[in-house]
Amino acid sequence: MQKIVYGYCIPWWRSSSLTKTLLVMKLTFLFLTAACLNVYANGVSQTITLSGKNVELTKVFTAIKKQTGYVVFYNHSDLNGTSPVTLSVYDMPLRSFLDIMLKNQPLAYNIEDKTIMLYRRAVPEEKALDSKQVTDIIANIIKGKVTNAQGEPLQNVSVIVIGSQSGTTTNNEGQFTLTTPDNKDIILEFSSVGYQTKRVKVGKQTEVNVVLELEVAGLSDVVVTALGVQRSAKSLVYANQIVKGSELTDIKNDNLMNSLNGKVAGVTISPSASGVGGSAKVILRGSKNAFGTNQPLYVIDGVPISNSSNANGQPNSTFAGGPDGGDGISNLNPDDIESISVLQGASGSALYGSQAANGVILITTKKGKIGTAKINFSSSYTNNTISYKPKFQNKYGVTPNGNQSWGAALTTPEENDNLSVFYQHGQNISNSVNFSSGSALAQTYFSYANTTASGVEPTNKLVRNNFTFREIGHFLNNKLTVDANTNYIQQKVDNTPSMGLFFNPLTGLYLFPVGNDITQYKDQYSIPQPERNGLLTQNWIANEDLQQNPWWILHKNPNYSTRNRLILNASVKYDFASWFNLQVRGNIDRVSDTWERDLYSGTNPVNVIGRNGAFTRSDLTRTQKYGDVIASLKIPFKSPFKLEGLLGASNTDVITNGTSIDQGLGLIIPNIFIAQNVATSVTSNVSNSSTHSQIQSAFGSLNLSYNDWLFLNITGRNDWSSNLAFTSNISYFYPSTGLSIILNQVLKLPTFISFAKVRGSYAEVATSVPQYITNPLSYLAAGGSVNFNLVEPNPKLKPTNTKSTEIGADLRFFDNKLSFNFSWYKSNTYNQFIQYTPAASTGFKVGYLNAGNIQNKGIELLLAYDLVKSEQLSWNTALNYSSNQNVIIELNPNAPDAQILLTTPNPNAYGSALQKGGSWGDIIGVKFERNESGQIELNSGGQPINNNKFVKVGNPNPIWQMGWNNTFNYKKITLSFLIDGKFGGHVMSMTQMLMDSYGTSKVSGDARDNGGVKVNAVDPNGNTVSTIDALKWYSTVGGRSGIGEVYMYSATAVRIRQATLGYNFPIMNNLIKSIRLSLIGSNLLYLSKKAPYDPEITMSTGNGMSGVDVFSQPTTRNIGAQLNISF
Amino acid sequence: MKKTTFTSNRLERVNTSFKSTFFIVTITLLFGCTKKFESFNTDPTGITKDQLKIDFNNIGLYYPGIQQNIFSNYGMYQLIQNLNADNYCGYYQSADPFRGNINNQNYFLVSGWNDYIYAVAYGDVMGPVRKIESEGTRTEAPDYWAIALILQVQAMSRVTDYYGPIPYSKVGLDNATPYDAQKDVYDLFFKQLDTAVSNLEAYIATFPGSKPFAKYDMIYAGNYTQWLKYANSLRLRLAMRIVNIDPNTAKTQALLALNNPAGLIETNTDNAGISGFGYQNPIWYVGTVWVDLACNASLITYLTGYNDPRLSKYCYPAGKMAPAPPGYEGKYLGIRAGTPVGAKPMYNGYSFPNFDIIQQYSPIVTMNAAEVWFLKAEAALRGWTTGNAQDDYETGINTSMAQWGVSAGNYLNDNTSTQADYVDPLTPTAGVPNASISAVSTITIKWDPAATKEQNLERIITQKWIAMWPSGGYEAWAEYRRTGYPRLFPVVVNNSGGTISTDLQIRRIEYPSTEYTNNPTGVAGGVSLLGGPDKGGTPVWWDTNKGRANPVNF
Repeated sequence: MQKIVYGYCIPWWRSSSLTKTLLVMKLTFLFLTAACLNVYANGVSQTITLSGKNVELTKVFTAIKKQTGYVVFYNHSDLNGTSPVTLSVYDMPLRSFLDIMLKNQPLAYNIEDKTIMLYRRAVPEEKALDSKQVTDIIANIIKGKVTNAQGEPLQNVSVIVIGSQSGTTTNNEGQFTLTTPDNKDIILEFSSVGYQTKRVKVGKQTEVNVVLELEVAGLSDVVVTALGVQRSAKSLVYANQIVKGSELTDIKNDNLMNSLNGKVAGVTISPSASGVGGSAKVILRGSKNAFGTNQPLYVIDGVPISNSSNANGQPNSTFAGGPDGGDGISNLNPDDIESISVLQGASGSALYGSQAANGVILITTKKGKIGTAKINFSSSYTNNTISYKPKFQNKYGVTPNGNQSWGAALTTPEENDNLSVFYQHGQNISNSVNFSSGSALAQTYFSYANTTASGVEPTNKLVRNNFTFREIGHFLNNKLTVDANTNYIQQKVDNTPSMGLFFNPLTGLYLFPVGNDITQYKDQYSIPQPERNGLLTQNWIANEDLQQNPWWILHKNPNYSTRNRLILNASVKYDFASWFNLQVRGNIDRVSDTWERDLYSGTNPVNVIGRNGAFTRSDLTRTQKYGDVIASLKIPFKSPFKLEGLLGASNTDVITNGTSIDQGLGLIIPNIFIAQNVATSVTSNVSNSSTHSQIQSAFGSLNLSYNDWLFLNITGRNDWSSNLAFTSNISYFYPSTGLSIILNQVLKLPTFISFAKVRGSYAEVATSVPQYITNPLSYLAAGGSVNFNLVEPNPKLKPTNTKSTEIGADLRFFDNKLSFNFSWYKSNTYNQFIQYTPAASTGFKVGYLNAGNIQNKGIELLLAYDLVKSEQLSWNTALNYSSNQNVIIELNPNAPDAQILLTTPNPNAYGSALQKGGSWGDIIGVKFERNESGQIELNSGGQPINNNKFVKVGNPNPIWQMGWNNTFNYKKITLSFLIDGKFGGHVMSMTQMLMDSYGTSKVSGDARDNGGVKVNAVDPNGNTVSTIDALKWYSTVGGRSGIGEVYMYSATAVRIRQATLGYNFPIMNNLIKSIRLSLIGSNLLYLSKKAPYDPEITMSTGNGMSGVDVFSQPTTRNIGAQLNISF
Repeated sequence: MKKTTFTSNRLERVNTSFKSTFFIVTITLLFGCTKKFESFNTDPTGITKDQLKIDFNNIGLYYPGIQQNIFSNYGMYQLIQNLNADNYCGYYQSADPFRGNINNQNYFLVSGWNDYIYAVAYGDVMGPVRKIESEGTRTEAPDYWAIALILQVQAMSRVTDYYGPIPYSKVGLDNATPYDAQKDVYDLFFKQLDTAVSNLEAYIATFPGSKPFAKYDMIYAGNYTQWLKYANSLRLRLAMRIVNIDPNTAKTQALLALNNPAGLIETNTDNAGISGFGYQNPIWYVGTVWVDLACNASLITYLTGYNDPRLSKYCYPAGKMAPAPPGYEGKYLGIRAGTPVGAKPMYNGYSFPNFDIIQQYSPIVTMNAAEVWFLKAEAALRGWTTGNAQDDYETGINTSMAQWGVSAGNYLNDNTSTQADYVDPLTPTAGVPNASISAVSTITIKWDPAATKEQNLERIITQKWIAMWPSGGYEAWAEYRRTGYPRLFPVVVNNSGGTISTDLQIRRIEYPSTEYTNNPTGVAGGVSLLGGPDKGGTPVWWDTNKGRANPVNF
């Protein structure tokens, strides 16, 4: 097995690791295909229903032919010594039937095509049968009905005979019928989503009626934990919150992570303000790392996947980010997801190693279910509109000789709404279908989904197609399980809006002079130039770097991105014994991205060289390969102790290869956007990028339980990281341990407490340094020169280490109606990888060191209550709360006051930094110079003076957040809504800053109405000044490099996040199992919002640019309908 | 880091750490697997030292970057020269109301801007020169080392003239670099030029006509004789700078330069202009793409007052980048330093540099022949040489006229024209002070042998100032501070909060804030060597006139 995983290092595999891995995948697929064929040979119509006493075999053969079309060949003499049979079978698979019927006969069989060949087999003497003895082969027919606690029939409940290949599902009336091979020791297992799985031992009875209890999360659940290991929820030593797939699909979002917003405690989700297909920033329990990602690891069915952006990455400049590059998680089809489990803490994720230091989001995908054949179709449509508008003044016109709005009062206030001239209704249309079926031997799942969306900014479009095929096969008496999953994703996004000042249509739109008519610029955004024989150039009122004609940008600065992604997963597991199994898994996640931007001649020369336009393009392929081998042990001591454990090794290998074409010296012939048309100087305008990193790991886990009420968990993992090559130690180890106690099983608790668990854990997770840091090289630079390595040497780099402690309790009251979960955690991240700027006078430009301590501390609460639970009406309400406090205790000890910049502030107003004593992601800006009594100091010209340095003016992270979810069911109607709020934190609006300085904002108009801005200021002579002219004030405090402290706003926002109203139609026929139509809405209403924009959205899902608005597209309000049909 | 190292580490861990015994089996399996880690962690798009050794690129390829970073790229040029020295010397004033008109240009020294002066000088010039040195260049390729020293002196002389004491002799040796007194920095400059000159002389003598540096040379196409002239001219420039504080050294060094047989930059073909390697002229970029600079009223009033034939070559008339203020279409109109300019495009209609002449890839000049002639004129005026100051002065003007392709005409004989008054048609407006001002200079063009040395020095420096446009602002500001000439309009608005006198004008730039966080002891030493507060009003070592109304240069 090791050969497969570590094949890279073994001679016979030395040629190319990729082809080898592909080979493994291929073999696995061959295996699976075989399994499928086998299933279908065994399938649908090849079942036997037969009963009778003392039936001759020949008669049985006739019946077989009649019922299945299979012909039985045999030599008459072979029937000597056989005996008649007594039968009672119902809908029994042919093979099972033959197995049973021939069990005590001297015959064996072979099936080829549609022929059953019988032949004689040796029967031991003592077992030879008396020919007169009638073999009593009774395959029981078991019938029954499954209901819920209220006595309502449950459909689609899976019923399996444990240890056999029989299984079925209940019909609309909750009834089932199945045949069992034997009536001895039969155990039936009933399972259905949302209900506790129940096993029933069947004796002689032929009718089994079962009542399934509603599932209460965390009680008897089996949850998927790290590495895909299933464990009982009550044994978990850490917090773990599960979101069902349906919560992702009730209202489909073009990035499924946004569907989790407000639903999970300890998770902060910030959608990117980048139109359709944008990424989402997901932070679990606060940001921990000064450098590198702070986002969690995404794991599908136990195997990590990539969440990478395209080569364009994430913006990190208030000038011109360039568009958001999207992320990996948004590519998935939410309909394929069975559930998502969020492991906020390090101990839950310790086994995933380095990549999981920021927590893990475990995604379990759907698979075919035994005994079912189901088709689900879902179609949804939403209409999206901007959910707020900046506030404009309409009274004061254009400045003389200028293009700002500081001119004289208009005779009649302007009534045009430029925003409605620009924004359109966006749409999101999503259609998906999935087919799933399964026998006891193999389960199949296939799905296809199409998402087509258009943004509120014209020309912004997304089309995504997802194909999924999953097959699970069981072999060798269920000892060998092969599971393979293929995902193919194809996505195209056009005209992702740029954020920041450049290439952004919103700057021109929002700064357009009041009183002028913008429609002329919409109708004619370009004009021909006679001196260039009609070549079009843009038509706009202003010629300055930070604005262009908005429609010119839409049509003449287009960008396109495409993604083709293939995710292949395969796992093979063999149960050597009931207490020992070995599993080998492999995964390839290959993402190919292209990104292109065409800038037509006539585009503002900022960032465009030459007068003929520019072409830029990048292609990037990222291949992540993961393989692991895990041996699992389960030792049921004949004592109250139980021991489970695993030992494994894994290899994660990530390779990226990219090519990018920069604009060189611009285009040769205007507006031909191909690489051949790019003018270049001495050097090529084509550049390659390439990365390779590998982490090899060995890990183990031990779970010891006592009497099912005391659970001890210990894990350990050792990583060898290629990113640490060239340092003295490439290897690092980190452990975790935890304990949970089920109190209600040991203590006598009041009866209203139905469940009580306390838990505590401690974990360490180490993270390697970034790629290539330990081996700094020089690079070719533009024009044929070289950017030499000017890194201050430090050979002692080592991994970052996060140490976290967590304690918590899970409680249920009143027959589980009320549940309460609580967690407190504290994590400290030491040995931060810090990229610092050495003193300029050293002559070095950059240095790296490990130091620092960033602490996150917080609590999480979950409260759920079934307020009403009756046959007609039910009302469930759930509340989640979390708070996080982040403190930077220590950073670079050599320069304790130095800021580590996440976003460089100069020359604009917004910056983001880490600084000792502050919190992660502090917004830095300039402040007023004030005297001792707090008055703003003015200069001799009457302008406020600033403090000339960038200091903390706020922190955008919420102090606490809350989500409140309610679901009502009344007969066939379901109503649910989610209200959530993020409280505390402050954000900056550069949009407001610029609108104020241009005089287009309502604030600037009101100030003029009021004769100036009311201030508490003091002039250089010590005289108090209470009013400052509006233009003087806003031209000083506003503008792109304005005074940050003026433009900080509370980030508190409370909103109705989503609501659905659904109706389940009565079933009309047998073909259709259910029809549900829902009205859906998301981001419906702000109950409170203090900032001039939605403070939740972010301009980047990287570390920088959080808590600032630089002409970001407003959040949309989405209203629509969804239809679900299942067959 | 060979395999053996890993093995021993691995075994050590296994042996010493009980926790790892847990993994012993797997470790055995992994054995040898990490040997490719070094190749994984080597960026294939990077260039290793060994790869660079071919063709001596490990030394040579540093030079294009160093040469470009004398003025750096557009954004950095704006921060290291255009929004400070170029403004303080009366060449430029931005038409952009940066930071609400509270910025460097009106004496509110923006720390976030000025930090880049160090970042570029040390990170992009001195750092690479240290690397060149560490490759053994000093002894292995003394000719290359000579060029490195010339470029370093060129770049760092600007820095010390901006600040006074700077880190120089010990750069790259420690995390906390001590500051050198400015006198010591100048002494070292002269010594480094000594080395450069003798290395080049030796090389030229041994390999006459050989041009091994040609492919990296953005200034002289590998001609070492030209580099020798540049070194001599630079020495003359630096020597003259310290004439008031250390006249003996000044004279010694000046004569050393003037007597070097290779000569100085004396014709326009010798001008040290940087171009090539795709380097865009940063003045062109900042002026045309960002429309962020315009001509200063001081420059325009001298040129219009003198009826200077270079004016139309230097600048566009008003109304080229945006509509001119009423009545000024086609006329030349500058913006006075420290004017609170209205929001764009209000002042975009004033005169801008002539971007038909300063184009995207035009060389940007660090030193030209005209400047050298004016330096020679001053040397003659001081009696250091037997040369005739008037001849040198007139050659200087003619050389400059030739550089711009115009004829001097009667210019040299004009003994009446003086600087024009300045009228700003857009001020005063509500709340903005009147920027209009009468001429501050009465100096005429024609050489007057009867005039005092002080008057003729004013003539020389004023003409040198005109001749060093458009890129010599750093030198022009230093010479303005040394000599008090040309007489420049004071700032309209002074936002220094009393740390810089409007009349005496700004004397230096404050140390970067990054030094206070990253090199606090070093910068504290610098301030103490400076001998005054770290403010814009404190004069540097050679600044003996300190901005007084009647400068004393003799």
